[in-house]
Amino acid sequence: MTLTTNLNLFDQFLVPKLLGMSLLIPAMLLTTVLIYNPQDRWLSNPLTTLQSWLIAKATKQIMTPVNKPGHKWSLMLISLLTMLILNNLLGLLPYTFTPTTQLSMNMALALPLWLATVLIGLRNNPTSSLAHLLPEGTPTPLIPILILIETISLLIRPIALAVRLTANLTAGHLLMHLISTAALSLMTTSTLLAGLTLIILTLLMLLEIAVAMIQAYVFTLLLSLYLQENV
Amino acid sequence: MLSRLALRAAPGVLRNLSPSLSAGALCAARSFHGGQPCLAPLPPLPERGGAVRHGFIPEEFFQFLYPKTGVTGPYMLGTGLTLYLVSKEIYVFNNETVSAVVFLSLVIYAVKRFGPDVAAFAEKINEEKLAKVSTIKNDSIKALETAIQQEKKEQERVAVRSYIFDAKRNNVAMLLEINYRERMLMVYNEVKKRLDYQVAMQHLKRRKEQDHMIGWVERNVVQSITPQQHKESIAKCILDLKALSKAAQATV
Repeated sequence: MTLTTNLNLFDQFLVPKLLGMSLLIPAMLLTTVLIYNPQDRWLSNPLTTLQSWLIAKATKQIMTPVNKPGHKWSLMLISLLTMLILNNLLGLLPYTFTPTTQLSMNMALALPLWLATVLIGLRNNPTSSLAHLLPEGTPTPLIPILILIETISLLIRPIALAVRLTANLTAGHLLMHLISTAALSLMTTSTLLAGLTLIILTLLMLLEIAVAMIQAYVFTLLLSLYLQENV
Repeated sequence: MLSRLALRAAPGVLRNLSPSLSAGALCAARSFHGGQPCLAPLPPLPERGGAVRHGFIPEEFFQFLYPKTGVTGPYMLGTGLTLYLVSKEIYVFNNETVSAVVFLSLVIYAVKRFGPDVAAFAEKINEEKLAKVSTIKNDSIKALETAIQQEKKEQERVAVRSYIFDAKRNNVAMLLEINYRERMLMVYNEVKKRLDYQVAMQHLKRRKEQDHMIGWVERNVVQSITPQQHKESIAKCILDLKALSKAAQATV
């Protein structure tokens, strides 16, 4: 509840503190509470069955294009996907802190994983990974410029990954904050406009739920794509 | 996580205690909230989860308050608490409240609309697993039943085996009998042919003798007819003819 007052719009993204201790790590680990452990049973209760089915579907979807040596990454990528989806969706609840709105956390996820894919590619088959810097069928005069551009695009990937996730979620939360503030203040002046604003807020909520899941999926999918290129 | 590691390692350590202590220690060492009371075979899963009212309040809470406050107790508690928090501005209505209301209505609508379908889907996954294994079980049961029936048929066949031998024996005897009778017939025919030949020879001989005798007798008789007898017989014949012609003329 409101133990703090928001002086500006970005105070909602501050890491919550309890008795002076930062609650960042419990916030990140909250999602582990919601995941069921696989049970020592053959048939489990419906929730566990659904969770296993969803994870199996997601694994098949993401890891099928990756070749066999890349399947070593499946645990990492699927647990990343699950954590991101749950973090993003839980952040839509009121008064919850979303760790993935912090650029620091997203950079901490994106940079090491991207760097791992690049290093694996350079180590195992360097010619093939360097060949990705030059798309097929480029006209000869363009080659030097294109290599520069491709190198820059390669180096900007981790920043793009992190900033994409951060920006999407932060923008969504900000918009929700703004529109709900507008609805609240309009309720006293004009109820009809408040109703319209609430309709907009409902649509935005639906969008946010979709964006939360899509952004998590895109993050993982792009990492699997980088893995495909390099492994 | 480290506590989980310790909990996993506990049974192994506790088993190594002396037998009098290990049984009790194993049963006493359990994780908080949710581990089995004993490391015995797992109990079966309950069919349905805990009963819940309004989606998130366990039924046990209502039962807990029922003796003291009756049926409306928990609702009074909820309403009173909410009104107290709101009116004393312990909970301030701000933008998050609006956002919470909208989000919760969306969630409740989604659960009411898609809940039964999702539950049915989850049940279907489990049922498909069960059905797959049941098909294997039923197929093997059917195969075994067919095998039993065929075995019984074979046993019946073996029981009537002696009849087949009797029938075969009868057939063979009949064939032998037929063969014997054919040969008997052949023998009879051959013997008859031989005897007929002998009979025909005898007849022929007798006829030849007869013919020869008749010829001899005729020759002798013709030789013995003298001319005088020849004239006398012709005169007699003429007299007889005349008499006969007279008799014939008379009748006409």
